[in-house]
Amino acid sequence: MDWTKRQIFPFSAIVGQEKMKLALILNAICPSIGGVLIRGEKGTAKSTAVRALAALLPEIEVVSGCPFNCDPHEYEGLCPECKAKVHKGAVLPTTTRKIGLIDLPLGVTEDRVVGSLDIEYAVKEGKRRLTHGLLAAAHRGILYIDEVNLLNDHIVDVILDAAGMGLNIIEREGISYAHRAEFILIGTMNPEEGELRPQLLDRFGMCIEIEGIQDSDERIRLIKLRECFDKNSTDFIRYYQKHENNLSQEIMRARKRLAGVKISDEMVQLCSELALNAFVAGHRADIIMRKTALCIACYEGREEVTEKDVKEAADLVLLHRVRMPPPPQHRPEEKEEEPPSPPEEKEPEKEEEETENQNQQKSEARDEEEGDKKDKEEPERGISDIPMLDTVFPVGYAFKVRKIQTERDRSLRKGSGRRSRTRTSSKAGRYIMSTMQRKTDDLALDATIRAAAPYQIHRRRKDVAIAIEETDIREKIREKRIGNFIVFVLDASGSMGADKRMIETKGAILSLLLDAYQKRDKVALVAFKGDRAEILLPPTSSIELAHKLLEELPTGGKTPLCHGITLGYQIIQSYFHKDPNIYPLLILISDGKANVSQYGGKPMSEAMEIADMIKDDPRVNTAVVDVEKSGMISFGLAHQLSIRMGAGYFKIEDLKADTLVNVLREDLLK
Amino acid sequence: MEHKNTTYPFTAIVGQEKMKNALILNAINPKLGGVLIRGEKGTAKSTAVRSLAALLPEIEVIADCKFGCNPNERAGMCQECVNRLEHGEELPVEKRRIRVVELPVGSTEDRVVGTLDIEHAIKKGEKRFEPGVLAQANRGILYVDEVNLLDDHTVDVLLDSAAMGVNTVEREGVSYSHPAEFILIGTMNPEEGELRPQLLDRFGLCVHIEGIADLEQRVEVVKRRASYDEDPAGFQKTWEEEEEKLREAVIQAKELLNKVTISDDMLYLIARIAIDMNVDGHRADIMMMKASKTLAALNGRREVLEEDVQSAADMALQHRMRRKPFQKPGVEEEKIAGIISHNHPHSHEHY
Repeated sequence: MDWTKRQIFPFSAIVGQEKMKLALILNAICPSIGGVLIRGEKGTAKSTAVRALAALLPEIEVVSGCPFNCDPHEYEGLCPECKAKVHKGAVLPTTTRKIGLIDLPLGVTEDRVVGSLDIEYAVKEGKRRLTHGLLAAAHRGILYIDEVNLLNDHIVDVILDAAGMGLNIIEREGISYAHRAEFILIGTMNPEEGELRPQLLDRFGMCIEIEGIQDSDERIRLIKLRECFDKNSTDFIRYYQKHENNLSQEIMRARKRLAGVKISDEMVQLCSELALNAFVAGHRADIIMRKTALCIACYEGREEVTEKDVKEAADLVLLHRVRMPPPPQHRPEEKEEEPPSPPEEKEPEKEEEETENQNQQKSEARDEEEGDKKDKEEPERGISDIPMLDTVFPVGYAFKVRKIQTERDRSLRKGSGRRSRTRTSSKAGRYIMSTMQRKTDDLALDATIRAAAPYQIHRRRKDVAIAIEETDIREKIREKRIGNFIVFVLDASGSMGADKRMIETKGAILSLLLDAYQKRDKVALVAFKGDRAEILLPPTSSIELAHKLLEELPTGGKTPLCHGITLGYQIIQSYFHKDPNIYPLLILISDGKANVSQYGGKPMSEAMEIADMIKDDPRVNTAVVDVEKSGMISFGLAHQLSIRMGAGYFKIEDLKADTLVNVLREDLLK
Repeated sequence: MEHKNTTYPFTAIVGQEKMKNALILNAINPKLGGVLIRGEKGTAKSTAVRSLAALLPEIEVIADCKFGCNPNERAGMCQECVNRLEHGEELPVEKRRIRVVELPVGSTEDRVVGTLDIEHAIKKGEKRFEPGVLAQANRGILYVDEVNLLDDHTVDVLLDSAAMGVNTVEREGVSYSHPAEFILIGTMNPEEGELRPQLLDRFGLCVHIEGIADLEQRVEVVKRRASYDEDPAGFQKTWEEEEEKLREAVIQAKELLNKVTISDDMLYLIARIAIDMNVDGHRADIMMMKASKTLAALNGRREVLEEDVQSAADMALQHRMRRKPFQKPGVEEEKIAGIISHNHPHSHEHY
């Protein structure tokens, strides 16, 4: 598209982010590396870089006029039409064109991804024919998904299917067709918005993590360049044209030279060693590391791969594949020697599997910010009459959540295809695909027309081109990201500091969070201490953010229990405005010893009152986790509260039995 | 009908200078990337945004283009306009005010991004794209009231097009893309839930407003509102002079904007603030720079001063700070002031 290309910020004008630029260039040199996932905070030129890459891509030879970009030199890979032409003895007309960068927008529907019936042709001819979808257009090119972690699950499955086989098989609307779909997958994402499924993660050949530049001179350069671009983009692009051309030619040259670059057995061995050290699953890492090393050497104009190349390649290839050592070797206290490159936090698949020492590592990895946060003091509005200082407790051990995975199916409507929103009459949600089942009156017009189109020749039409009959009607299948909505109401008052309660509690919340992540649940976190409660984490699906907040959460002060519960309940209520179909669960974690009043009454009875109110609301499910240690003189306040609230009741000790999550789910989430 | 067509004059809004300022800055410089107005209920948030339309400058558009393409800039044109130009067609040009397009919270995704034209499909048996709200908003203002209540997936598509100024539609059998460059203005009441960080970052500036505490001003609010409700047209007439003045000021600032320069010292200060305040990414820097230049222009200056940077930082960082637990969202103004005063000795060493 004319106008998109011309307004794009030039690749060579992007300041810093060398790793990202290298990864993209390497993929342009050797597409079989398999794409790259760029993770990073917002505003770090992720999307800009990928879109700018399009301009640098080398040219390939294609059969002209073929919607699948067939390679004229490879008979096996030709689409049926091209094959038929060859059979007839025709010489395929060829043309060269730039590798395409196909944008996959988040609102995409299935029919556009895989392709669907050609309506116009069907109406006119009464025959079925395919209009090719994005997978066809992306063949031999790049499929780019911005904010890939927000992409709908079903669409992800469809893409994975095709990417895995390199083949797009279409069986729909009376069309049966298969064509090649080999493409480089490039995705960008901001981990704050939630993680990517491990399966999709592994599809990316490389994964890199980027962040903002910390050097002020570089930052200034960046601001200035951006200002120039905004002032006069045409001139700016013209100015950088030379650089762009050079880079483009360099890529072309490297492409040609690539076959001649050698790698010694020793270096291949190093690749495998590094992969082994990172406990990767399968062999994809080794293979891609080798290829990447070759590419790096080639790009730098060398003919032989050096150790440095391999290490650099490992850096790009291993980040998203690193796992924790397998269980038999695993001893919690022991620190594994780190594999050369990859920072090993933020691995969702790892988070699922690993246990204890993850948290410690996480906190260490983040120590740069931690410095000033660790010794954070109670903010000014804290109360003065309690001399206790705030303490920040580490996050306790997360227990395994593996057992809960069996419930994944039960979390229904999420899985591919089977998700139908029968219970809700709502037409909200993202339209992904259509069905013949009639349930919601939510007409999928495009699918209906496609169903009707082939029969039009035989139907009586009055003033319309398409006469629709009852049997043509298709309905939309919509998907909502949100399954359950869990609000944690956490007691962060001074009493939680005793006996490491806070540590255990934090661990328990973390494991619930991890579980919530897998289920794509929404979570929110309310903490109360001092004279008030506060929403620490507004409804989100970002586990990382939640974990970070949890780590930094200080403990100390009085217990405004009532305010805490009220606020938690308010979040749920306001979330109902947004989405009446959520299934909210309020989890209160406290010893129940309220001592701050919200409305001027007795703190404890105020808490009981609000508990009654919640009990009367049938939409909200509740659970109380009692952190009071048994054995001592126990007040049993939390227990009383749970009864008043109609809530499930759990002791903190139950948490360690790693059953809580299961129990919670079975009891409360049906 | 008559009543609907009148809006409460922007200049008649009492107080809320921060909000008004942020909106005016966007009217002067559309590249500021919009404003998020956070505040309690009934603080004239929506009124201000709606009334802003009357102050916006005029732009040249291709009269019969659905996307309001700019006739002077071929690079940003939609496919149809480009095709027409290539066929040697003369494109009709007209001038019109920048539009404020409202995105209702309940909008469905197909209405936002556009969808298959039903009528055309059934009557003609052909596929045609029916543009949605994003098409209307091209080169204008997209206003989302209660933006925090927007459906998650609607936010996703909004993010998608806000990022690159292009709306790519691949749905319901339609494959289409068109320019969608808009200023995003949102209002929200934080009590009803926070906004996702990714969407937050898309707003160039953010202001936080509260109800007015001053008694006299409060009375004035009620009085003015009452006289507007009684006779909207008459009320508008009374304020027309003020409106005209502000409109003129916006136009002048717009002209001056291109001549405003920013010294390296000030750029260094901006970078310093961004680093010290520990913001995500680089959008904050760029926004601070743009906002401070626009502020200078609004104040009739050709050079950016420290005070411009300070108020720009206030607006650009409000929503970009990494929040810590038990801390109110917002900027620690003293910290910024500290960085600024601290900056002096440093800046001279550096440049």
